[in-house]
This record gives sequence, structure tokens and C-alpha cells, in this order.
Amino acid sequence: MNRRRFCLISATALTCPALAFAQEWKSDPSAFVSHFAQVGIVEVLEAKISQKEKAERFRTLFKGLFDIPAIARFVVGRFWRTTPPAEQEKFLKVFEDVIVYTWNRRFSEYNGQTLKVESTAPDGTDGSVVNSRIVGKGSNDSFAVQWRLRNRDDGLRVVDVIIEGVSMAITYRQEYATIISQQGGMPGLISALESRARDLAKEVG
Amino acid sequence: MTAVLPRLLILAAAVMLAGCATRPPASDPAAVRAFQQINDPWEPTNRVMFKIDQGLDAALIRPVAWTYTKVVPQPARNGVTNAIANLRSPITFVNDVLQGEATRALETFWRLIINSTIGLGGLFDVGARVGVPGHTEDFGQTLAVLGAGEGPFLYLPILGPSGVRDGIGLGVDNFGLDPVSWYSYNSHNIQWIQWAYLGAELVDAKSTTMATTDELKKSSIDYYAALRSAYRQYRAKEIRNGAPPPAGSMPSFDDEDGDPFAPEKPQAPR
Repeated sequence: MNRRRFCLISATALTCPALAFAQEWKSDPSAFVSHFAQVGIVEVLEAKISQKEKAERFRTLFKGLFDIPAIARFVVGRFWRTTPPAEQEKFLKVFEDVIVYTWNRRFSEYNGQTLKVESTAPDGTDGSVVNSRIVGKGSNDSFAVQWRLRNRDDGLRVVDVIIEGVSMAITYRQEYATIISQQGGMPGLISALESRARDLAKEVG
Repeated sequence: MTAVLPRLLILAAAVMLAGCATRPPASDPAAVRAFQQINDPWEPTNRVMFKIDQGLDAALIRPVAWTYTKVVPQPARNGVTNAIANLRSPITFVNDVLQGEATRALETFWRLIINSTIGLGGLFDVGARVGVPGHTEDFGQTLAVLGAGEGPFLYLPILGPSGVRDGIGLGVDNFGLDPVSWYSYNSHNIQWIQWAYLGAELVDAKSTTMATTDELKKSSIDYYAALRSAYRQYRAKEIRNGAPPPAGSMPSFDDEDGDPFAPEKPQAPR
């Protein structure tokens, strides 16, 4: 081994672990969920910024770490394939808005709760489910949150959040199926969501 | 007087028949599967009950619960929640036993003894402080553990979302196992106590669940449909005693192939 090559290897060995550590959260399920909670607490919940800025910061975080198109297809279910692309786009946008604004309403209630990852298990063919608890100050205000993750080309993405056994994706899916079949199909659902998003946006200010 | 009951039954049957959801045609198998999965054949009647419930909620239960949370400080409200849980624990105990959960039955038993004495009639949850937190069981869960399916969805005014199995369970628990009901079955005892207890139970339940249900109401378009889905998922978790669903039973949907969250495949031209 020549001297130059040796230098290169030792340099790589020294820098790579640090790099691997910094990027580890992208592929390690439990680190991924902790990262989401940590960034959410520091940059959104505890940040001294307006509600509107919080909503926009949360939107960036949410879009980066959640697979919104996969969730949107799941909640629309069997109706997705028969929906024209232009309407699919409209749905994606308004669905994202409704979720961002709904979560945003809760930000003002934040009172120092922390997230503790408890265990990780495989889920589906290439995913994982991370079991965690959100722990508050009192002894009674802790609750179970499960995160269903999937591996994508550029790292993990959340596809569902299950709070005390209630899955957001399944609840939306079953609710939307009822609306689609009873209130004018996909156009009916989209316009109902659009008016809800407008109402929620007003609360954000 | 004897003729009243048959007439009432006929009326009830007529209401049920009038309030049946239309089953999709057999030519649309995906829609039929979805109809069966929703399992709410009395949806129109249930939605009427839901409307009545929401009306009562807005006019009476919510204002009372809201005033209660503003007037009574949190520690006192915790005392009420603890006392009601303590009074209900015989129901949990019997159902623990019926489900063959020996450890949980013993936990419930010792909690009842300790909280009723050292915990001053259940006002303080001493059991939880010494590391034995409480849990609840009901006859609906016992029936589920014995293998009964949930049955069609039922929406009960004041009591909220339920189902045929859980509705039967509610009847068995409250008329057969509830110590306060037993107390009132003796006509020499004070009768208004059971009504006061029922009122306290309702206000306590409302004041502790209001934030969660409000959130669901705000994030949903069809609150009835969202509540129906959330109720069933929550019950499934209670039946599993809080354990995560067994491996492989995380939602897979029979109208999907493979992982329902898989990235979109490029579609073949139609």
C-alpha cells in the first residue's frame, strides 16, 4: 500500500462515521421518528414565530418526511384510479392543506411534551413501524403513537400515524369513502375539503 | 296496556326498515365489499340518532361539561374521575375474570381494596402511584374475546358510537354488573342516587374526551363517518388490551394488491 492511498483511506475512515451519523436518521426508523419530533419541537413548537410562520415551517417538514402522494392515494382508495389527473392534483393540494392547518391548530397547546421511541418492528415488505409515546408533565397525559414508515429512494417516509390505536390514514379513508359515495363523488369531496381548508386557514390568520 | 308492547315493536321494525342503507348492486363487487366493511346497514336511522345526540350535546351536555371544567379545578375533577373509575371497577373485575385474565383481575381487585380505603373512597388513585395503573374492561370486550364479531354499527343518543355487540355489553354491564344499579334495585334505597351517578358519569366522560372529539370534528368533513371509523379502531385496540396489532394484520385492504402505500406504478395505457 503506498503512502498516498493510506492517507486517503484513513481520511475516509475518519470522516465517514461522522457523515454516516449525520445522515443516519434518513434510513434508521427510530432515529427518523426522533429526528421528526426533535425538529418539530425546536423549529416549530418552541420557536418564537407567528402561527402563520409555524404553519409554513411545519408544511416544509411534513412534505419532506411524509409520503403525501402515497397517503393521498390510500385515503381515496378504489376511487383513485378513476379520478382524472387534474382532479388528483387538486385533491393532493387540498388534502395537504387540511392536514397542515389541522395540526397547526394544536401547536398553541404545546406544553413541553416529549416523544420517546419504545420499539421498532418490520411492517409490510420494506417498511417499519415505530412504537413511541408522547409524554406530558402529568402522570396521566401520555399516549401511544405508532409511525408507519416506508423506504423510498432518498430515505424513509411516514405513511401513517396511529394515535391510541386510531390510524389517521384509515379514518380518512373510511370517512372519504362515505363522502365520495354519498356527496357527489370526488368533485364533491374536493369542494368540501376546499371550503374546510379555507375555514381552517382563517384560524391560522 | 298489554297491546302497547306489540305496537311499539311494529313501530320499531318499521323505523328500522325505513332506515336501511341501500346495498350497492352485485355488479360492482368493490362497492359491495366496501359496503360490508363499513357494516352500517341502519345508517339512515343511525344518522338521525347522531343528529339527536349532537343536538342534546350542544344544548345540554357540552355546556354543563364546559362549565364544570371552568368552575371545578383540575385536582378535584381528577378525584371525580378516580371515584367513578373505582365504582366501575367491579364491572372490570368480572370481565377480567370472564376473559381469563388472572393477573389483570387481581390488579383490579387490589386496586379496588386500596383505592376504596387508603384512597378515601376512590378519590385518590393510590394504586397507580404504587405502580399498578388501572384499566377498564367491559362485557362488549368479553364477547369479542369469546369470538363475537362487532355486528352492525349503532349510534346511541347520549351514549354515542357503539355496535350490536357493544350495545349488548353496555346493557349487561350497566344493569347486571354495576354496583350502583344493584344498590337501586332495592326499593328501600335512595333512588335518585343512580340518576345523579349517571349524570356525573356523563359529565365526567364528556369533560375528559371533549378535546379529542372536537379535534376529530374539526378535521373531518363527515364527522359521523370519521367517528364510526375511529370508534371501531379504538375498540379493536381496547380488545387487544392496548397491544399493537399482531404482525401482518396492519391494514391491508382487499381492494388493493400488495402494499397499499406502495409508490404509484406507471399505468398501462387504457
